[in-house]
Amino acid sequence: MDALIKERINQVLKGDHNAFGEIVELYKDKVFQICFRMLGNRQEAEDLAQEAFVRAFVNIRSFNIQMKFSTWLYRIATNLCIDRLRKKKPDYYLDAEVSGTEGLNMYSQIASDMAKPEDEVESLELQETIQVEIMKLPEKYRSVIVLKYIEELSLKEISEILDLPVGTVKTRIHRGREALRKQLRHL
Amino acid sequence: MNYHEEIIDYMHDYLDEDIKPEHKEALRDHLHTCAECRDYFHEMKKAVALVQSTSHIKAPDDFTSRVMAQLPKETKTTGAKR
Repeated sequence: MDALIKERINQVLKGDHNAFGEIVELYKDKVFQICFRMLGNRQEAEDLAQEAFVRAFVNIRSFNIQMKFSTWLYRIATNLCIDRLRKKKPDYYLDAEVSGTEGLNMYSQIASDMAKPEDEVESLELQETIQVEIMKLPEKYRSVIVLKYIEELSLKEISEILDLPVGTVKTRIHRGREALRKQLRHL
Repeated sequence: MNYHEEIIDYMHDYLDEDIKPEHKEALRDHLHTCAECRDYFHEMKKAVALVQSTSHIKAPDDFTSRVMAQLPKETKTTGAKR
């Protein structure tokens, strides 16, 4: 994986745009997922995830080839999400209508992605509930929880992505976990 | 309600997979005897499991082509604008 990515990056550096497409394919779900779990809104997540890749492309020369590419990419995506969250009030909840789509909220958008109709209904509701609870976490706890439990990254990687000491990451994970315990205990 | 703060710290260390063997033993022994802490630990593990269960969302099908369309062109004067 790492060798393949490094090869693609070298091709991009030599001017081969298409090689970047392969990089996007490899990481698009992960990056989209980070953005969606951070922002709680699909359209916004898509916009920011795309922005993250465009920024990665534009700044590819500043990528240190000794570093893990995913760490660098996730840092770009996470920072974009954090900037966005800080600039606006947390008004994007599940009930909010997605702009430009009449009567379509995120419930129906999630539903349309799910393949199996009947047995998914219950788990779908649960998924929505959990996302609502994740959105209730303050951003500094939300980011570590998303990276740890949804992206399954190590504390060290999370510390590199967020540019925070491992000890701080740990403390935030503990606080985030405490908050989620209280929020989810009655489910 | 009688939670033991030190034990709760050990629970976190355990969940971080960063617990000293002697603390792990202390945690195990304590959970055998303390129902409150047992419930607490259960709630914490449940919260983690629920959050982990959400992790399967995919980027839209046209994602890559839309990113590629936004990339700046080779010549700097024709920088792509959306």
